[in-house]
Amino acid sequence: MKLQIKRWIAQIIFLISANLGALGLKTGFCYPFFYCHSCPAAASACPLRAIEIGVFRGNWNWRFIFYPVLIIGFVGVIFGRAVCGWACPIGLLQRVTGVVPRYLKKKFPSIKKLGKSKIDRYLRYIKYFVFIGLVVGTTIWIGFMFTDLCPVGFLVGTIPISILHPGEYVPNEFFYVALAVFILFLVLIFTVERGWCRYFCPVGAMLAPFNKISLVHISVDKSKCVNCNICSDICPMGIDVPNMNRDPECILCGKCVESCPENLIKLEKRYKT
Amino acid sequence: MNKMLTVQITLLVLIAGALGGMLLYTDVYDDIKSTIVDITCFSCIKMDPVTRIDFTFKTVDNQNHPGFILENLLEGPVFLAFREDVCGGCDKMEPIIQKIFNTYFEKEDFVYETINYSGTPVVFYHISLDHASDEMIEPFFVYDKDQRSGVPMFVMITLGDNKGQIQPYYATAYSTLGLEKNSKREALMREIIKQGIEYYNQNQEGYNYTV
Repeated sequence: MKLQIKRWIAQIIFLISANLGALGLKTGFCYPFFYCHSCPAAASACPLRAIEIGVFRGNWNWRFIFYPVLIIGFVGVIFGRAVCGWACPIGLLQRVTGVVPRYLKKKFPSIKKLGKSKIDRYLRYIKYFVFIGLVVGTTIWIGFMFTDLCPVGFLVGTIPISILHPGEYVPNEFFYVALAVFILFLVLIFTVERGWCRYFCPVGAMLAPFNKISLVHISVDKSKCVNCNICSDICPMGIDVPNMNRDPECILCGKCVESCPENLIKLEKRYKT
Repeated sequence: MNKMLTVQITLLVLIAGALGGMLLYTDVYDDIKSTIVDITCFSCIKMDPVTRIDFTFKTVDNQNHPGFILENLLEGPVFLAFREDVCGGCDKMEPIIQKIFNTYFEKEDFVYETINYSGTPVVFYHISLDHASDEMIEPFFVYDKDQRSGVPMFVMITLGDNKGQIQPYYATAYSTLGLEKNSKREALMREIIKQGIEYYNQNQEGYNYTV
């Protein structure tokens, strides 16, 4: 079976698993990916919310900090950011919406520059600032900020609840700012392929360093590379694949593995020299 | 075995051990479930439930009224204020509740006292879902009328005439009551309490409960 079909199956299975709360299965685990417990069907907790509660206004609750970090660490050491490419429901959403920027790139060269510009590599650091600043920092010194504005909470929590309970809820003071953030989120994922994963996802920021040591990783035999650049063109994260060397941005989707005409890129399941 | 594999396996064992230890020897699994998964996070959905003064006899899933509530109703109407330690809406509503009942408490405190509210004794409970006993948390699930499963939640329990029988009659308010201004929140909360007291005074004589 082709890798990309396996990935579709995995993503759909994880989407269903994340929403087993609809059948009454509510657990005390944190998701190792980005999904919100405010979704009426959610089965587990958002790891970011657990961390926020753990650091809220300097009242350190270490269990709520270590628990999601260890869950993400455990998954990260084995799979790295494959979680983003194979399990995350928001990754699945961006896989679907990714056809739009891919189409736009062909039609409008200026769009193509969006994901390839020189500042792109610097923009990718934003997600670390989002995690450290918005998820942790503001929560320590001010109070909840990230979850008040989170576009994923808006997508899977606010919208379904508004539909299921029409007229029973009223917007709070953060609603319209969060709506604006959500609209920007939509614009982003429809103009830059995997734009949320690349620039803003705080869970992606937590998982990214694990790519350097994960058991599962992508390896490239650069010595035989013919520099056709097909792999880099097809990469949804816009990585320079032949030179990536366990790039923290790689989501191990395997598109480069399947596209390499020389069969030089491999999805390795353990460390090889 | 090369160095990288050693690092990978060591990290995996350490993390798995720490995670397993947390799951086995701490209550973190239950705490995450009860604090995050089972509770609707109003700040995450960026909305507050609309609060209507809507007294009812029907409890969630027709559960029985907790014994201590029935007992307290002999003395006066009962007001329950539920919160969690980490809860922005609770922090906003707490000063209003303290002002209305002319009392003071910290967020983790369990409070049970009879307060003279404009000449009527009201049995006041402040219950932290993070610290209170299971018995005290039980009413949170019994009186979650609109099944919002979120905090803060306030319940005014009084007495009503249900087809000739005097029974507990309650109204539930959620979060910041769907109102922006503290003055409006306070006014609505006082109106709920006022109506509860009126119902209680009308039906008190017909209430029978044997401890």
